[in-house]
Amino acid sequence: MYGYVRPVKGELKVSEFELFQSVYCGLCQELARRYGFLSRFLVNYDLTFLAMLLAGPEQAMTCPRRCPVHPLRPIRCLGGCESLQTAADMTVVLGWWKLADGAQDKRGVKALGCKLACFALRGAYRRAAASQPLLAAEAESDLRRLRALEEERCPSLDRAADAFASILRAIASGQKTEQRRRVLGELLYHLGRIIYILDAVDDLADDAETGSYNPLRFRFQTADGKLSEEDERTLRAGLQLSHNAISGAYALLDGNPYSGILTNTIYLGLPAATQAVFAGTWNAGAKLKRERSSL
Amino acid sequence: MNDPYSVLGVSPSASDDEVKRAYRDLARKYHPDNYHDNPLADLASEKMKEINEAYDAITKSREQGGSYGRGGSAYQSQGAGQRQYAGSNAQYVQIRNLINANDLAQAEAMLNAMSNHDAEWYYLMGSVYWRRGWMDQAGQYFRTAATMEPGNVEYRNAVQYMNQGGQAYRPAGGMDMMGGDAACNLCQNLICADCCCEMVGGNLIPCIGCR
Repeated sequence: MYGYVRPVKGELKVSEFELFQSVYCGLCQELARRYGFLSRFLVNYDLTFLAMLLAGPEQAMTCPRRCPVHPLRPIRCLGGCESLQTAADMTVVLGWWKLADGAQDKRGVKALGCKLACFALRGAYRRAAASQPLLAAEAESDLRRLRALEEERCPSLDRAADAFASILRAIASGQKTEQRRRVLGELLYHLGRIIYILDAVDDLADDAETGSYNPLRFRFQTADGKLSEEDERTLRAGLQLSHNAISGAYALLDGNPYSGILTNTIYLGLPAATQAVFAGTWNAGAKLKRERSSL
Repeated sequence: MNDPYSVLGVSPSASDDEVKRAYRDLARKYHPDNYHDNPLADLASEKMKEINEAYDAITKSREQGGSYGRGGSAYQSQGAGQRQYAGSNAQYVQIRNLINANDLAQAEAMLNAMSNHDAEWYYLMGSVYWRRGWMDQAGQYFRTAATMEPGNVEYRNAVQYMNQGGQAYRPAGGMDMMGGDAACNLCQNLICADCCCEMVGGNLIPCIGCR
């Protein structure tokens, strides 16, 4: 989706990094196996986090596999466990809707690209939606709600974030016990809030320039796409409160083989991403990487 | 009951100090301060009870073997106690009770039906949003309440608690989202959490001293 939810690599143990890679690559393999080669391009860190978060206490199987990115040295990949399947389904559902959104919002070549990608992935989306009918329906209705809010230029940050966060909360509804449904629902809701708000901060300057909807433009009435120091403080305190809610919920989950990575992601990764987004270096880093890889 | 050692995550051969440290870490993690007005507060207090019972069981059995004693009873879960709200009108008392019972839709409907929007109205509306996880709107309503009635401690503390980003458990080395130093706000947060928590009938300060 957005990639804000990722561990700080330098703080992972080597064993944890290998485990993380096995989930990331496992998710990519699972996508290819179930939804075809193209869906691999939708793999991302946020849904890798989801796969680890939903995982049960037992260690899942891994096996070495080659792929176009790693043609020579096989990478250990997680085998098809349930949480990985859910994550793969949601990768396709959310990825497809993000592309559909882009086809409407963007202009020129980018819009055309999104349209083409949507068209190419329509079969994958149909199959993923059939595999997760409730979640796909929830995503569709929430995203329609979000679009309506965008069109009416909704000034409530919470209302807009709620539409997105509700999709993530719904993912917890498939959990087996009431306690896990509650705890994971709360965790994912606030994670969704943080993702949505960070994305809004990240896009604020661009949206102010192009005149696109951004909840922060209307919430803080900024004409030039810059937040005042006080607005930033208010916004970050709000993010902190959501982070506290995640902390509280996370403490109530039983540990699983990925606990070290999850803890790193929550307590180091999310704060680091927030810091980078507010400092304006998040996109800059990504841009630099894109430029390098295109050389 | 589960094996008290596995509840605390230590081996039966652990020293008294190790047991105590494990207990303290867990008590810090599940402390009600971290679940202030949180929809999962009931689960955390169950967990706290379990930890207290395990620690008590271990110290008791070790006392009999001539080890040290802790004394005093474990942390008591407080629950959502009933509280008298002096000076409130009857409708506000009812709304506060609905909020405490997590019946947010009904509380919101009652607030929306009222035509007189005084400071308490804004404060309670903020509380409804807070419970729902709509932190930004909650803050706006709390701030309005505090501006309308600057002398009110309850409203002022709610604003301060929000501005500081509340309070939560963080493992050693963990970072926060505010980009500042997390530790220096701790004491301030505790005091604010206490005052803010009293709105829902809790009282944090007496139970701060985790043993």
